[in-house]
Amino acid sequence: MIFKQFRYEPLFQASYLLGCSRAREGFVVDPIADLGTDHYVLEAADQGLDVVGVLETHVHADFVSCARELAEMTGASHYLHEAAEGLVRYEFTPLADGQTLTVGQVDVKAIHTPGHTPEHTCFLVTDRARTDEPWAVLTGDSLFVGDVGRPDLLVGDEVLDVFSETERAELQFRSIHERLFTLPEHVEVFPNHYGGSTCGGVNMSGKASSTIWFEKRFNLALSQPDVAAFDDFVRETAKPFPESYQWIKSYNLGLITKDELQGAMRT
Amino acid sequence: MNAAEVAAAVDEGAVVLDLRPPRPFATGHLPGALTMQFNRADLGDRAELQLPQGIRLVVHAEPEPIAKVAVEILGEEGFEVLGHLEGGLAAWREAGHPTETLPLIDVDELHDELDRYTVVDAREGFEHRHGHVPGAVLFPPGDAWERADELPAGTPLAVVCGDQTRSAYVASVLRRRDRDAVLVMGGMVDWLERGFETERTAAPAA
Repeated sequence: MIFKQFRYEPLFQASYLLGCSRAREGFVVDPIADLGTDHYVLEAADQGLDVVGVLETHVHADFVSCARELAEMTGASHYLHEAAEGLVRYEFTPLADGQTLTVGQVDVKAIHTPGHTPEHTCFLVTDRARTDEPWAVLTGDSLFVGDVGRPDLLVGDEVLDVFSETERAELQFRSIHERLFTLPEHVEVFPNHYGGSTCGGVNMSGKASSTIWFEKRFNLALSQPDVAAFDDFVRETAKPFPESYQWIKSYNLGLITKDELQGAMRT
Repeated sequence: MNAAEVAAAVDEGAVVLDLRPPRPFATGHLPGALTMQFNRADLGDRAELQLPQGIRLVVHAEPEPIAKVAVEILGEEGFEVLGHLEGGLAAWREAGHPTETLPLIDVDELHDELDRYTVVDAREGFEHRHGHVPGAVLFPPGDAWERADELPAGTPLAVVCGDQTRSAYVASVLRRRDRDAVLVMGGMVDWLERGFETERTAAPAA
């Protein structure tokens, strides 16, 4: 299989290209506008991959997504978890929990992990050319290396936010413990952020990959004994809010145009 | 370049270099187009090794960013590149210009009807010696343009490589030279996976 992680260092953001080297088809996960659509198109072409799906773990608040443009440019489908229906104002292909997308011998299975956002989903990756055992999980803003995605990036609109901060913290705790920490421990963890990213707290590692085994033992936030302690810990260790996050989230939801976003970010 | 400009350039002898993957190329491409696989790492080197000297090129790649980068790479390699087809195949068809196809077969079809074809092996000598489809003629991509007329006439040519990358280029050369060539998708990887017979040849004396 082909698996590449792209890091955009100014925002400590990681996006991914993965696919089947024989079928010559692949997926882009969580593309960032700062790298740009051309970056992903050319990287895929370098690997001989036709991009057939643009996947997002969730609607992002800390960086501008280029998923919609990339899907249009490549003719690929744009996938989000089905809980994004009614939240985003554009067409996408809904993914159900447990649904598997396949390119050649590579499977990508959606694992719904609400918490950071209601529609948040992880992607479990299996390379059947090697084995039917899963190999890696793209954890978006749920499980970070050494930390977790923060539960408090709300746009301030009850309908769009769906859950309160406290509810999000509880969902995050349960999603990770019940959906991710129950995966085979050899599974590698590839997050959407690392290091200085403001989508999590001060314990986020600068190393942008880990394993389920390692995080189960050494992730401080997830070592908290219960939801209440986890909620307190996550709030106490959170970094400052990401810059312009409500505007960026509004753009990524399709509520405002790119021009409106750029106007807002200049002021 | 818009479709009309590309058509005019082709009429004046320019060669279209199609950098899309084999399957879309096979489904429809500009008349006489050659195809190579795009990548930034070695497109320039492969073009220099494989393409005939002194030709003028028009690039066809989709989406657009690939075409722009390819024009730069080929230009730096010393090729005369007139530009790229804006709007891709959709724009070409919309302007009413004709397209051509490249027939595809898989290794099962090749195996079932081996007698029908002359098998053209578009790999290098060391790969061919290690094991090839019985009777396959060694025909590396670097020689394809010069040697296109040497292949036996009368039977269709089935072009095979490791997968379908080099074979797609060779098949496009052969079709441009009016040979009846088909592309074998999956190549030797699929052939071996099926457990089909291969033939080995002794290494040539040093």
